[in-house]
Amino acid sequence: MKYLRQGLVFMLVAVVAAAAAIPWTGCHRRDDGRIRITMWHQDRIDVRLILQRQLDRFMQLHPEVRVEQLFKETEELRSGFIIAALAGQGPEIVYGPSDQVGPFEIMQIITPLEGIFEKEWLAQYDPRGLTWYKDHLYQVADKLGNHLTLVYNKKLVPVPPTTDEELVKIGKRLTADLNGDGKPDRYGLTWNYTEPFFFIPFMTGFGGWIMDDQGNPTLNGRGTIDGLGFVKQLRDVHRIIPNEADYNVADILFKDGNAGMIINGDWSWAGYKNAGLDIGVAPLPKITSTGLWCEPMVSPKGFSMNVNIAPEKRQWVIELIRYLMSPENQLESTKELFTMPTHMAVQQGDFVQGNEILRNSALQIAHGRTMPVVPEVRAIWDAMRPGYQAVLAGRVSAEQAAAEMQAMALRRIKEMNE
Amino acid sequence: MNLSPRTRHRLYLFFLVAPTFVILFGVVIYPFFYNVILSLSNMSLRHIRDWQIIGFGQYVKVFTEPSQPDFYMVFGKTIIWTVVNVVCHVVIGVFLALVLNQKEIKGKWLFRAILVLPWAVPQLIVALTWRGMFNYEYGSINLMLTQWLGVEGVQWLRQPLEAFIAVIVTNVWLGFPFMMVIALGALQSIPHDLYEAADIDGARWYHKLWHITVPLIRPVMVPAITLGTIWTFNNLNIVWLVSNAGEPSDQTHLLVSFVYKAAFNFYRYGYGAALSMVIFAILLVFSLSFMRRSKATDNVYS
Repeated sequence: MKYLRQGLVFMLVAVVAAAAAIPWTGCHRRDDGRIRITMWHQDRIDVRLILQRQLDRFMQLHPEVRVEQLFKETEELRSGFIIAALAGQGPEIVYGPSDQVGPFEIMQIITPLEGIFEKEWLAQYDPRGLTWYKDHLYQVADKLGNHLTLVYNKKLVPVPPTTDEELVKIGKRLTADLNGDGKPDRYGLTWNYTEPFFFIPFMTGFGGWIMDDQGNPTLNGRGTIDGLGFVKQLRDVHRIIPNEADYNVADILFKDGNAGMIINGDWSWAGYKNAGLDIGVAPLPKITSTGLWCEPMVSPKGFSMNVNIAPEKRQWVIELIRYLMSPENQLESTKELFTMPTHMAVQQGDFVQGNEILRNSALQIAHGRTMPVVPEVRAIWDAMRPGYQAVLAGRVSAEQAAAEMQAMALRRIKEMNE
Repeated sequence: MNLSPRTRHRLYLFFLVAPTFVILFGVVIYPFFYNVILSLSNMSLRHIRDWQIIGFGQYVKVFTEPSQPDFYMVFGKTIIWTVVNVVCHVVIGVFLALVLNQKEIKGKWLFRAILVLPWAVPQLIVALTWRGMFNYEYGSINLMLTQWLGVEGVQWLRQPLEAFIAVIVTNVWLGFPFMMVIALGALQSIPHDLYEAADIDGARWYHKLWHITVPLIRPVMVPAITLGTIWTFNNLNIVWLVSNAGEPSDQTHLLVSFVYKAAFNFYRYGYGAALSMVIFAILLVFSLSFMRRSKATDNVYS
């Protein structure tokens, strides 16, 4: 009997310990009687700090609510949200670029918003910040863009190029062997060569695009071939870009003043400013031979609502999204991060109109292509990456790479949709 | 309650084992069998809620689906990756342990601390640091090659073979301290009398190594090698971070990164589950046969 009692006590202790651990797993729904709302995002630290200030103010206004933001890497956020939401759990709000809307809609894990937010309220926002998919609104964005631009160091580049010819001319002037070892120490231009997202402006500059209106890949065309050829020329003929650069290398080269210009997104500008660089932002140049602008992808970043939100939380989630979308909060983010707000009044307000970076950012957005939200985009990225890298490594020709990209994209889409 | 002592004892044992069983069921048994079921299903992006059991179709796809790279290519690379890594880990680890086990070595604690350092640094930091070191223009490896040896820099991360070598080098650097620590522990447990007896018998160093050291560290090293093999075979972090998810052109994938990509990038959950079951089977067969062939569970003193 003694043993049995000891066994029971042991089991009881184990159960109590397990129960005590549950709050740390994030499974509990309430905290000290307050409604708890969780928001997942993939924003970097400076954005998180601003968001936390805004959340703190919201919680001061509504002491009955506790809001927690949780950072997750892009892939972790997406797969984690899918797993959690399919299990009937997950954060109430998921925040990120609009391209996650497609798969989330197919899996029915986010809720349509057109019946939740009034038309008048939605009308305050730039339509490009409202992501509709299959006739439903699935995301309301507080930031527009997530787009690439030409960022230049004003000390090295007083006037940015507007055409590819000017780009090459300035690049040649800047590229220099400063220590006499026979190798360039400073380059005219740099960017992340490993990601096809950074290749899109060159593709569009030569008339290409990733897919047609039906979602079929269109990678085996002149846009891809000539865009790849142009990038190779920049490196091998004009020699104005480094031999090899991923995001970190390109970023450090620019920050250290060893590259006069960089192709980078709106997320990077505040960091360059904080690093003490006198930067300018300009639209990516026009390709003279085609007369087309190098158009980057443009996508909003915004809020989607989990389909599993508990009824008692729903109203607070809506209230929180309204609050974070407010013109005051958007302006606060814009002032610190130089991101383009979606609230029309803020877009047309003094700060945005009077700021050179934001004016040029708006110009670049106007010369941008909206990123499709269909899940097939993921297959296209994956299909473009090997060919793009193989061309830069000199293993295949641009024509061969374009054909392989197309074939691989078709295969990937078929596999994904099986 | 009128229970016999035997029943009480059994109940007592049951209560002791029950919490462990519950946890094991939750984190091992249930996920394993759920994965088996998924591997027989068509769960994917388009069938995430209405998935059905379709039989062995996903297994057939694993072995027959034409893709670039395909299963066999990735499997071959995984074998090379595992063998090269584990051999290097064991050889370097045991060698360093033998050196550190010498009585004559002064300041052993310092050498041990330095040699364990790769193991102590977070893998993410190690991987990204090595990635930077392999950069063609600015990486320290090419700078050493060109400035000290006067040879042309290598395109480590842009060519398939070189990129594969780069990830192996990184993982060798990361992995040898584990084997060194294990081997050192095993060496310190060998009675010194055996070596003294061998000295009296006129044994040379290689006789002592082969007839005393190797047999006596074997029971410790074999499980470590088995574990090391499984860990290396299933190592996602290094390949994913150093080669930036299989770059260049998906040429540095291992089976485990191949599964990750299929399941989480392309939402092919059924296919990913089938492939992970294949990996499980490969590792199970390896572990059982290695343990049996190496006689790891035999008593070395018998």
